[in-house]
Amino acid sequence: MPPGLDALRHIVVLMLENRSFDHMLGSLKAINPAIDGYVDSDVFTNLDAQNNPVKPQALAEFQGQLNPDPDHHFPAVDVQIYAGKTGNGRIANMQGFITSYFHQRQDLEHSRKIMYYFKQGDLPVLTTLALQFAVFNRWFASIPGPTICNRAFAHYGTSFGRVDMDPFDILEPIKSVYTRLVTATPKRSAKVYYYDVASSTMEVANLLQHQTEVFGTYQQFLSDCDKGLLPDYSFVEPNYSDHDSDEGEEVASDQHPDHDVQAGEQLIAEVYNHIRNSPKTWPNTALLIVYDEHGGIFDHVPPPPCPKDSFHSSQVDPGTGQPFQFDRLGVRVPAILVSPWIQAGTVVDRVFDHASIPATITKFFLGGYPHVSSREANADVFIEPRDGSGNMTNNLLSLDTMRNECPVFRIAK
Amino acid sequence: MEPIDVPKPKGVRDPHRAAGTLLLAHVRHLHEAEKSLPPKYHTGIFHKAIETEFEAARYIRAVTKAIHKAHDDAVKERARRASARKRVIQIAAAADQGTSRKRRSGTKETKSKAIKGKRRRRIGRRS
Repeated sequence: MPPGLDALRHIVVLMLENRSFDHMLGSLKAINPAIDGYVDSDVFTNLDAQNNPVKPQALAEFQGQLNPDPDHHFPAVDVQIYAGKTGNGRIANMQGFITSYFHQRQDLEHSRKIMYYFKQGDLPVLTTLALQFAVFNRWFASIPGPTICNRAFAHYGTSFGRVDMDPFDILEPIKSVYTRLVTATPKRSAKVYYYDVASSTMEVANLLQHQTEVFGTYQQFLSDCDKGLLPDYSFVEPNYSDHDSDEGEEVASDQHPDHDVQAGEQLIAEVYNHIRNSPKTWPNTALLIVYDEHGGIFDHVPPPPCPKDSFHSSQVDPGTGQPFQFDRLGVRVPAILVSPWIQAGTVVDRVFDHASIPATITKFFLGGYPHVSSREANADVFIEPRDGSGNMTNNLLSLDTMRNECPVFRIAK
Repeated sequence: MEPIDVPKPKGVRDPHRAAGTLLLAHVRHLHEAEKSLPPKYHTGIFHKAIETEFEAARYIRAVTKAIHKAHDDAVKERARRASARKRVIQIAAAADQGTSRKRRSGTKETKSKAIKGKRRRRIGRRS
């Protein structure tokens, strides 16, 4: 058994909002060509409303640039991926991002901003972690659609046929990854740490059976990191709104346009620092940082097809006139796995989506589970199971000894 | 390795920014959950009037607290009922012990007569 896997006791997932891979990490191709980002010599373009080719440009700003919020509902993402083509034989060419954004404001100049990406120095936290640990070249949203259904895949391995933002019913026999863990024999532990009660989590409505046991706040998460008291599995939610709390004025840290990207950088740094600086937590914890979907922002890699899910949408819900069989993935998102047992500069080319989260957690902590969706059953795992049933050539926690030299962030207050 | 500086966000904090589709969807989800709570936990906030992040956060805070409170109260109530049930069972068990002691002291013939007598009385009540 590789010592990194043998030591692993806690898996933490931090899921942020609505940014594509190329937008956040595309610039890293210039530093490490194995990272499938974007460099100026690449030929990828989108046509604007006057049929002028527009290249991606490193002009992204932290806030105030993507207003209105780029459309990322199912019909808009369909336009973005297929350039507005419909019917059989169309090709996913990622040529419709400007077309889609232009529809919203009818402003030629503004529509080109959907092709902007961040310079490496703009995002010191995310880019450092991507270069220093493992970055995934092919982690896609689970659905070419919005937040709620994509986050459902992270919790349940399916969205139960939903492709939209409406409340969904949890259909038997599927259970959330939290329910699987806390009802297992022997019992395991799992928590959704939401930022605070005013930010909360969608799952507070969905997981009423195990209230309190599976919920904590962000401050409790930091404390649990410090004391070495993390549960087996932690899912950390960012702050979704600017609001007042008992502690003072809170700023949204989810990075959802038009929230400040730097506030999200601080959140990622704080989560990492608390894990990194706790001698009881750092050696035995893996942290996955991932985004729920691309938020309508450009990416150059076409999402691949995938095996159908156990559920399919209605004919009406996708808004394209066709039911969706969940047989292809959404747009690519940033995903980074952090652990002191990972070789710096690791780049992973295998295909993942958010169904890989419950698949990995379930296989690692329980060995398996009888009732999972087809999509989860077919999803690849980002941490190999400890029982030896996995493919050890894919093991990312592969070092023989823990790294001593890992980055630390100094967060300005 | 030298610490890497993470700058302070320069963005604008604006709780009165219009709530986006995600926050409004969150409000809708929590409203569905609120409807399933007993009326005493309802917030009294008209969720369809929510327009800003501040208003959405206020509603989300109120419903999240209500869900936790309703759950905590339900757990306490279940514990109270279980405890009461336990007391009843203990009393019943003690009574059973008393009955069995009496039965042991009686003869078979006496018990049989007593049962028949009870049956007759029940039939009599029904008619």
